[in-house]
Amino acid sequence: MPESSRLAPPEIDNISLGYMRLTDAAPLILAKEAGVFKRYGLDVTLCREVSWANLRDKLVVGLLDAAQLLAPLPMTTAMGAGGMRGQLLTGLALGLNGNAITLSNRLCHELSDQSETKFSPLERAEQLKAYLANSAEPITLATVHAFSMHTFLLRLWLQAGGIDIDKDIHLIVLPPEQMCDSLARGVIDGFCVGEPWSTVAVEQGIGSVVASGYDIWNNAPEKVLGVTQQWHDAHPATHLRLRLAIMEACQMLESPEQREAIALTMSQAEYLNLPSRYILPSLTGAYHYTKGSDAVVIPNFHVFWKYQAGFPWRSQAQWILTQTSKMLGKDISAEQAQSLIQQCWRPDLYREAARLLGVPCPSRDYKSENTHEEEWSIESDIVLGADKLIHAG
Amino acid sequence: MKEVKASAAIRVMLVDDHSERAQLVEDGLVSAGFEVISVISSAAGLLFQIEQHRPDVVIIDLQSPDRDVLESLAIVNQHNPTAMVMFGQEDDPDYIRHAVSAGISTYLTDGINPARVRPIIEVAMAQFRSFQGLREELVTARAQLESRSLVEKAKALLMTQKNLNENEAHQLLTKLAMDNNQRLGDVAHTVVSTLSAFETRK
Repeated sequence: MPESSRLAPPEIDNISLGYMRLTDAAPLILAKEAGVFKRYGLDVTLCREVSWANLRDKLVVGLLDAAQLLAPLPMTTAMGAGGMRGQLLTGLALGLNGNAITLSNRLCHELSDQSETKFSPLERAEQLKAYLANSAEPITLATVHAFSMHTFLLRLWLQAGGIDIDKDIHLIVLPPEQMCDSLARGVIDGFCVGEPWSTVAVEQGIGSVVASGYDIWNNAPEKVLGVTQQWHDAHPATHLRLRLAIMEACQMLESPEQREAIALTMSQAEYLNLPSRYILPSLTGAYHYTKGSDAVVIPNFHVFWKYQAGFPWRSQAQWILTQTSKMLGKDISAEQAQSLIQQCWRPDLYREAARLLGVPCPSRDYKSENTHEEEWSIESDIVLGADKLIHAG
Repeated sequence: MKEVKASAAIRVMLVDDHSERAQLVEDGLVSAGFEVISVISSAAGLLFQIEQHRPDVVIIDLQSPDRDVLESLAIVNQHNPTAMVMFGQEDDPDYIRHAVSAGISTYLTDGINPARVRPIIEVAMAQFRSFQGLREELVTARAQLESRSLVEKAKALLMTQKNLNENEAHQLLTKLAMDNNQRLGDVAHTVVSTLSAFETRK
């Protein structure tokens, strides 16, 4: 922790921080439970919300000071896509990866009757294409939000299998809590969702994971810490302390013991309210694709700290914006895109915090995306993760 | 734009998990002359319900997880030919504040004139607020009842253990409350916990 004398006093010390019932809320919950917020002079109340729309609306009207947001949300809110308009920004990403695509066991069985074989994510997508070619009906897949990495990852996976999304897939949105029930009742055939919901489907024996988010895009952006422009302008010192505390919690989550402990904490009624066996697999990286199968080791299922996980890359904002405008069927001019990205994604705020913590961070805002099969480094001492995309074989 | 809709009645769908409140809102809307075509709870398959009923307006409890589902309908595609958009995103920033504090959110089918929907939202907001008010009254009433029974218990303990009559016990409690600048219920609570501990030790 930086010496407190180097930090300006917080403008306010009572903070309402919104989050969703997801495993990657871990850094926020740890910062609260381990007293990190308190060390930074902040009395933080964590507010569990039921929809991304709620988090956004409450941020915009000031009922929340800050919130865990889907990475596309600051920009889509600035555009007023789908819901209300508002000026949101992020100076800290809350982690990489964390999602998975699950298909109903019924559909998996249709794709291949060799239930013992572990197929690669690409093989699964190709099997699905073959199945759809012989099927009169499209299948229905769900994500938790139209503008989310879940939607983008699901599309990438389907495209890798050569599937015509518009023709063969009915893509809908459902709340995470309704996913498993809808899958069990056959309302949907599969979904892409953040943990723990795929693990819940696997453990309940209703679905099998066919691809983790990491399989589709190694170390993809996922959630960010969002505040309004107005709130940031009025509370720069509070915002800085908030980021510093969460960054410390992210760093603490490098430790496997810490991850096991937070899974127990998060299982409590006030947080995820689920048995810890649903929360542990993705956090420890010993992940099960099917009930009773051997664990597949995915150490980077959630990355909270290494690989500059907190750095809000503008090159990723650009990618997200391009996908969003495609979905909206709306062209965004280069100047418009530039101004949205500069307004909403603030790597300068990350650097401010990183300097105070004495940790290295990139001096550039953009990097090449989806060109690295392995770890790589920039600016001599900064290690970044692989960023490979799944693609047709 | 759908000109046809301009003259026809606006068809309202309500999404609320509190059935009593939904009833209150429905009654309010119907008696104000609006057409409520469907009242559903979350997890009742909102997309299917919308496809079937084709509402012009959906009024939804802010605490319903189905809001993200509704917002996905802003994207027009083959499966969703008519967009639904959130009400009040452009003009009036205060509206959103009011709606959020009343606890509702409203979505309209593209082409419906927002001005015609405004009175519907006003009624729904008023009903949400009055439901909230009723609930707060209930909570207050319950708290008052609890405080009263605590006072009775404290008096009874004082009477048996300190040999006071009821009036003296009451006066003692009132004096303690005034001296300590506390509410009667709080003083009664302290007295009850102290004296009953004493009683168990005996």
